[in-house]
Amino acid sequence: MIGEVLSAVLNPMILIYIVLGVAGGICIGALPGLTATMGVALILPLTFGLDGSAGMLLLLGVYIGAIYGGSISAILLKTPGTPASAATAADGYAFSKRGEGGRALGIATVSSFCGGAVSCILLMLISPQLAKLALKFSAPEFFMLALFGLSIIASVSGKSLAKGILFGCIGLLLAMIGIDSITGYVRFTYGNINLLSGISFIPVMIGLFAMTQAFIGIEEIFLKDEIDQKIDRVLPTKEDLKSIFKIAPITGLIGTFIGIVPGAGADIGAFVSYNEAKRFSKHPEKFGTGIPDAIAASEGGNNGVTGGAMIPMLTLGIPGDATAAIMIGALTIQGLQPGPLLFTDNAVLVYTIFAGLFLANVVMLILGLSGIRLFVKVLAIPKTILTPMIMILCVVGSYAINMNLFDVGVMVACGIIGYFLHKLEVPASPIVLALILGPLAESNFRRALLMSGGSISTFISTPISIFFCFMSVITLFWPFIASRKKKKASETV
Amino acid sequence: MKKLLVAVALSTTMVASLTGCTDDTASDASYPNKSVSVIVPFSAGGGTDLCTRAIVDAAKDSFPNNISVENQTGGAGAIGMITGANSAADGSVLTTICVELVTLPHTTSGTNLHPDLFTPVLMINSTYSAVTVKADSPYNTLEDLLDAAREGNVQIGNSGVGAIWHLAAAALAQEAGVEFTHIPFDGASPALTSLLGGHIDAITVSYPEVAAQVEAGEVKVLALMAPERNENLPDIPTVQELGYDVAVGTWRGLGVPADTSQETVDTIYEIFSEASTQQSFIDFMNNNNLDIDILGPDEFSQRIYEEYELFGELISDLGLGQ
Repeated sequence: MIGEVLSAVLNPMILIYIVLGVAGGICIGALPGLTATMGVALILPLTFGLDGSAGMLLLLGVYIGAIYGGSISAILLKTPGTPASAATAADGYAFSKRGEGGRALGIATVSSFCGGAVSCILLMLISPQLAKLALKFSAPEFFMLALFGLSIIASVSGKSLAKGILFGCIGLLLAMIGIDSITGYVRFTYGNINLLSGISFIPVMIGLFAMTQAFIGIEEIFLKDEIDQKIDRVLPTKEDLKSIFKIAPITGLIGTFIGIVPGAGADIGAFVSYNEAKRFSKHPEKFGTGIPDAIAASEGGNNGVTGGAMIPMLTLGIPGDATAAIMIGALTIQGLQPGPLLFTDNAVLVYTIFAGLFLANVVMLILGLSGIRLFVKVLAIPKTILTPMIMILCVVGSYAINMNLFDVGVMVACGIIGYFLHKLEVPASPIVLALILGPLAESNFRRALLMSGGSISTFISTPISIFFCFMSVITLFWPFIASRKKKKASETV
Repeated sequence: MKKLLVAVALSTTMVASLTGCTDDTASDASYPNKSVSVIVPFSAGGGTDLCTRAIVDAAKDSFPNNISVENQTGGAGAIGMITGANSAADGSVLTTICVELVTLPHTTSGTNLHPDLFTPVLMINSTYSAVTVKADSPYNTLEDLLDAAREGNVQIGNSGVGAIWHLAAAALAQEAGVEFTHIPFDGASPALTSLLGGHIDAITVSYPEVAAQVEAGEVKVLALMAPERNENLPDIPTVQELGYDVAVGTWRGLGVPADTSQETVDTIYEIFSEASTQQSFIDFMNNNNLDIDILGPDEFSQRIYEEYELFGELISDLGLGQ
């Protein structure tokens, strides 16, 4: 069987599909608004004519490439190409501003590879065992996970926790718009059908990050502060590699676990990883100012999700995230039913997918590192050309999600709001985080109460929910605990 | 200044290439004399999308100027269908209409969605609710489940409040005189996951959505809410055989804006009904557990209006309307 798998994966045609998929994915991911999910959906019709493994590997290549590609624009332009890279934007852009964009890209590439590789190895070794974890998640566990996710607002708020929490709450309120998922009542839409399914967070994210950055770019047109990007080397330095290898494999592990949980994707994986790395860092105050650890954490985390999301998909036939849901469609089109039978009936295909996934990560590493010099050229484009181009991409990206002009309006409005928030030094991440997690938290809170007959104790009745409850409390109070520890340490010295 | 011009030129070409502007200067030949798009109101990879792509693929030779599928999602299908209904009534935009066309007008205010926005052309698929429990569940027949509901709390998962699989469970409960606790999920897949995890008692989503788990022996289907037994699943009884007069399911078909000329409707019907007999289409649908169920314009229209009335009553009985 190993021979069959190797001959399937090392087939030159398959290799070409993987390379094409990863390269296409990087381009899709780097463009703001074109997410990994959309990339995979766009490529899906192309796989109809391919055989099972070739089609799947093309899609997996796009998926992995896109999750990585989002970090390129996040680092160079502070414009996360996909929601998965929102956690990278602040630190990555700080590097570019210092003229170290190339260094940040190198760190991101190697970290992405580490995260992806770790999750791939876990997928190969223990996916059936891990898959059972996905089934343990019911409404109370999902709610506690979402609550833990929301508590991360405390660590992405930048200088002012109060501002972060305030705008996190505003994000939660925005998440209430649309059809109530439990009773079906329509809330705050004022008769506008475009609001029925709520404000989708991708146009909001594009507006708050990319459009805002474009407005700031207009300001800077008249400031002659061309930063020379110094790229002496493409590979990260020894010190950088040290912090990558210390952090990225662990956040890759965190990402894998987030990926297994149905409905939690790479965006949540990156934020959780960032938060954990910050918590255990010796210099948590430096997160957000452009340090290698921060990029290693979020990039290792979001690429870790890729393998994790495959686990419940291949073993149970349930999608780990939105992208995996499309891949299930791709497999069924090939006449293959993902689920418990796939491992026994189509073992060669399953292991070909595993091997191909690993290969796609290697291809990503090679393409990423060799492309850094090219990517950084983006920063040499004069602001007068770059800024309108970013604006156009913002419009195209926000339109492309649902083919709806309304989303473009949402994006522009958020861009304007984001510009003023920037002036007020309000971080944008809490709003985006709350918009992503709000619906998950609300519907599962109410679903849990419906299932328990109204008993609140359901939220602390299983080990998983107690774990997340504990983690949320720790995350919220960590800044206080950390500062006390520091005080004590300095007293003893 | 020169730089600015370059930027403008660059951006225009980019927009043009990215949005795929095509030159639609139509010559005066008969339909289809220009490129045609088909709006799918749900996302790529789902059942509605698969049905549409399969039939479009089978019919593509009849469209020399290209035919493309566009997924326009949102509002539980309302946004895509309304866009389709409001597009040019010349057959250049077809819409995949589905059961939400007859349920959403009753459950959701302010959508303006109504069956009379469309002229139905061809129904291609229908799928009925499958009452499904976990393989190791104590319930082995529909009656076991209903008895349990008479005595206590039975939790039935569905794909969303007011969605067709919610209405299916509610119609069964109404007919059998029992009460279920309906647990809405965001789609059929999370409901199935929750059932597999043993967190709920049963789900009432469609058979294709549980087929893989049935084959793997993880879940079992107690009954189908279909008018007659499915020929591919001869062992599964219908709810009607068991004494409850309920048949609830979803369907997908093609529709065009209401004021499209009869001539164009006829041509589109001919093209797609021919496509629906092609072996490639039939194989694809069978492979994906999608039952082919063809209805012509008149029968399709009749079915839509009958269900519109039926679901209207059910939804107001359930207190879901607003």
